[in-house]
Amino acid sequence: MGDRSIVAEAVSRYFADVKAVDGVDLDIGSGQIFGFLGPNGSGKTTTVKVLTTILKPTSGRARVAGFDVSEDSQEVRSRIGVALQEVGLDLLMTAREMLTLQARLFGAGAADAEATAERLLVTVGLDDVASKKRVGQYSGGMKRRLDLALALVNGPEILFLDEPTTGLDPASRLAIWEEVRRLNGERGMTIFLTTQYLEEADRLADEVAIIDRGKIVAQGSPVALKKEIGDEVVTISFASTEEAERADETLAEEAPSRRRSGRELLCYFSAAADRLPGLVRALDRAGIVTEGLTLSQPTLDDVFLRATGTRMSGRDEQGPEERP
Amino acid sequence: MTEVVLLVGRSLRNSLRVPAALIPNIAISVFFLFVFNSGLSSVGNLPGFKGSYLAFIIPVSIVSASVGGAGTAGQALVRDIESGYFTKLLLTPASRLALVWGPMIAGAMLLVGQVVLILALGLGLGLRSASGVGGLFVVLVFAFLWGMAFAGYAVFVALKTRNGAAAEAATFAFFPLIFLSTTFVPKEYIGAVWLKWAATVNPTTYIYDAMRSLLIDGWRARPLLIGLAVILGFATLTGVLALRQARRATRLG
Repeated sequence: MGDRSIVAEAVSRYFADVKAVDGVDLDIGSGQIFGFLGPNGSGKTTTVKVLTTILKPTSGRARVAGFDVSEDSQEVRSRIGVALQEVGLDLLMTAREMLTLQARLFGAGAADAEATAERLLVTVGLDDVASKKRVGQYSGGMKRRLDLALALVNGPEILFLDEPTTGLDPASRLAIWEEVRRLNGERGMTIFLTTQYLEEADRLADEVAIIDRGKIVAQGSPVALKKEIGDEVVTISFASTEEAERADETLAEEAPSRRRSGRELLCYFSAAADRLPGLVRALDRAGIVTEGLTLSQPTLDDVFLRATGTRMSGRDEQGPEERP
Repeated sequence: MTEVVLLVGRSLRNSLRVPAALIPNIAISVFFLFVFNSGLSSVGNLPGFKGSYLAFIIPVSIVSASVGGAGTAGQALVRDIESGYFTKLLLTPASRLALVWGPMIAGAMLLVGQVVLILALGLGLGLRSASGVGGLFVVLVFAFLWGMAFAGYAVFVALKTRNGAAAEAATFAFFPLIFLSTTFVPKEYIGAVWLKWAATVNPTTYIYDAMRSLLIDGWRARPLLIGLAVILGFATLTGVLALRQARRATRLG
């Protein structure tokens, strides 16, 4: 088994003067499922494009499967599989034709390529329509499955999946998760998966990095990252942002580790139950009325909020437009 | 090499799957053949005019067909870029050259198919090739190279603009090339000095000369060699432009 690691050292990629990716360091070991988490426009796709040799880094170096993405791009390409967020299919061809051609471009002989195509069509459940219909007639879900099959034609050592479940229904999402676990478990494939879904990273990934505005703001295993901010989170909601701001100042002593997000104040504790009465009393003394109070386990969203000051879920801000 | 064959095959298959895109181009070259042959054939009766007007006008029909063929190559590439399939091809270890040559060669091959049709029609109308079947074959070789030269230009524009409409519009740039030449009459009959000058610097003139010499005069080295040199120079120029643009477009270095 070859080198299946991904290493990035201070990788940056600018579009004109927009820093889409700004000094990203990564060290992903062989056989890991790595979750690359961030909101829309945070630089996830650009990072994937640099690591998969589609874009040259503006500065910095990256090695994938032991080869430099700039200097040995052909070696890198022959060892990786890539399914980008936007599927890249030729609508005039059939699934079988496309898989066979892709396999042959990766160097397989005619018979091998056909066998690979057949096997993958069965794997992604497209064998019944593979020869009859052109891809233009496929549904969105079928196109995505075909795109995933195309990423596997060369039996890659490392698989890049850029938001593989965005826009999918829950059942299809679960099917993709299962496939990712299977590829990782059975073949020891390193999987680099970008996602906007915190739950997805939490459920699948051994290791997670959170990227925001082109910079990595937190990195580690989901458990360790959540542990870092405390074992429990108390979320107090208020009628207005001003009330929340006032509460933020009021609770400086009772809750030294906290973050405000709109009308909510999040306080992080190792054992929250003992602290609740103190919090309520302090707010009461200051005459601040609360609308609700919940106690929960920290999520990766809390990690994101802690690192960036904004919540990832529900954030509708768009980042710099990524040109191909 | 295998990569090129695979990609040419794919481009050809795709083109044949959208016959509606091929038909207008074939219609235009047939139009040139019939309309100009029947409308202007009296030019052939002018004193000093050698051979039949049909043999004179057939190269115009062939060269105009190559504009459409080139457009096909450029548009196919834009379609791949827009659909994201080009990125899928970029992710294979296939050489970047093969990715650009695929649609170019396929476009030139479609042109050759079209030229076979034009020549067959011409023979039906009474065309006699002074250089025999061998000469007709050389005409096909010229058509293929000319098609490659045009396709290189179309691919360059396609990669530069990444826009289907722009790639199509760019092929119109070839109309002056086709018409500011000895398109309808030999150079000695052109009265306007500016047009004579334009015809002299226009590379298309030498392609017409080469093809016409084969059809009308038989085997003559001079026009063939000049024609070949012009075509190779032109093809090299557009080919280099296309490849440079492909390198730039594929890595956005």
